[in-house]
Amino acid sequence: MSAVFAATRAELTKIVTLRTVWIVTGVILALHLLVSYANVGINIEAVRAITPDGMIELFADDPQPANRAIVDFLVASSFQMGLFLPGLGAVIAGQEFRTPQLGQTLLAVPRRGRLIVAKTVAATVYLLFVAVVVAGVSTAFMYAAVRDWNPGLLVSPGAWVGQGKFVAFAVLTGLISFAITVIARSTLTGVAVTVGLIAVTMTQLLAVFSPALDALFPLSAGRNLLLNPVENTLSAGPGHAMVVLVAWPLVTTVVAAFLLARRDAR
Amino acid sequence: MIEVSRLSKRYGAKTAVDDVSFTVRPGTVTGFLGPNGAGKSTTLRVLLGLDHPTSGTALIDGRPYRDLSHPLRKVGALLDGAGPVPERRAIDHLTWIAQSNRIPRSRVREVLDLVGLGDAAKQRVKKYSLGMGQRLGIAAALLGDPEILVLDEPVNGLDPDGIRWVRTFLREFAASGRTVLLSSHLMAEMAETADEAVVIAQGRIVARGSIEEITEGHASLETAFFALTGGQVGW
Repeated sequence: MSAVFAATRAELTKIVTLRTVWIVTGVILALHLLVSYANVGINIEAVRAITPDGMIELFADDPQPANRAIVDFLVASSFQMGLFLPGLGAVIAGQEFRTPQLGQTLLAVPRRGRLIVAKTVAATVYLLFVAVVVAGVSTAFMYAAVRDWNPGLLVSPGAWVGQGKFVAFAVLTGLISFAITVIARSTLTGVAVTVGLIAVTMTQLLAVFSPALDALFPLSAGRNLLLNPVENTLSAGPGHAMVVLVAWPLVTTVVAAFLLARRDAR
Repeated sequence: MIEVSRLSKRYGAKTAVDDVSFTVRPGTVTGFLGPNGAGKSTTLRVLLGLDHPTSGTALIDGRPYRDLSHPLRKVGALLDGAGPVPERRAIDHLTWIAQSNRIPRSRVREVLDLVGLGDAAKQRVKKYSLGMGQRLGIAAALLGDPEILVLDEPVNGLDPDGIRWVRTFLREFAASGRTVLLSSHLMAEMAETADEAVVIAQGRIVARGSIEEITEGHASLETAFFALTGGQVGW
């Protein structure tokens, strides 16, 4: 266990001392701040205009129960930034392959099984950190809107569950991209495959023709997990979504471990 | 002790290493000589667990490299194709390596000072010259204060001072009872540094023994090398 811990610590050091990781993290957080800032004024006005019967219009001509709508908006604002976290997973994994570092890594940790465990745990920790910051930013901006109305809403069980689902989604999809990059031994391929998976979900083409197939894609599963079925057309329920979201990183990581063990380190 | 026994490595139809056997004893510097493409780097990569052998074994103190619990404390290695990410600072590169094998952090500073990179420790590796990069590789190899050194072309890019430092260091390292396996193209340098040599050509061992035995009947190690390898030039 101590050897795995040492290897994990080393992998975490690799992640946090890589400038590209901080640049990508900074871009994601800056984008989130920008989008959240752009929305905060509209949200403040919408909260001020909540009707006596508790209805809000976050979107014009679409009145909804305020509590539910605000929590949904909170989770959705995190979710849209969560779509970028797989890129971070690819960058973290890809550092081994765009330079001769993999050889050095295997000199230090020659047991491939131990190495993939250490890498996956370290990537999970970093993705978790970024996902929690994204959720925190979403919460902080929403607090600015609801502080004079119902600030406790942001720490209600519904909000915790929603943000918890987002964090799980963000980490799990980041790990998928991480594992695909190890399989492909290329950051670019990892990013390209991830963009392809996002495109399947965002275009909703598959969801129209075959909702059952669409529900097996990880980003679609994220959508099914996080979005409100009353307001959105979803291809499966949250239980199915969670199974899909766990299965993808599990299967891709097992394949990555198998290939890392079988291949020469070139 | 390094023991390579009947080692072969094929890539598809191409045989890179063919039935290679040799031993490297403690207390000696053993040169590993051969033209480019002769199979030197492949042999070292298999020895260090980076590539899988097609057949045969390559053992360090009787065990495969990947079975060593803290390998960098046993073996220090400098290999082409095993290096830092250029955008990372040298000190960070050595820090993660040290952490992976539970080597004290103070050792990072020690090896950086030892190879003359103490003042450049916080520079990004991409700003290093070829020689500085080579010194960083040597620092990584020395990090675990290993019993065995496996170095592939360690003096590449080094200035005369650096070459002399490596030569003196390796002589002292071996004199303390430790083991050095050294691959190099520089015959004059090898003649001054190595006690023994293994010569490989086209994937097969063509000679092994002391430097005196190998150069016997030849004017120098260089002429012996060309005679043994059939005058191959590995461009």
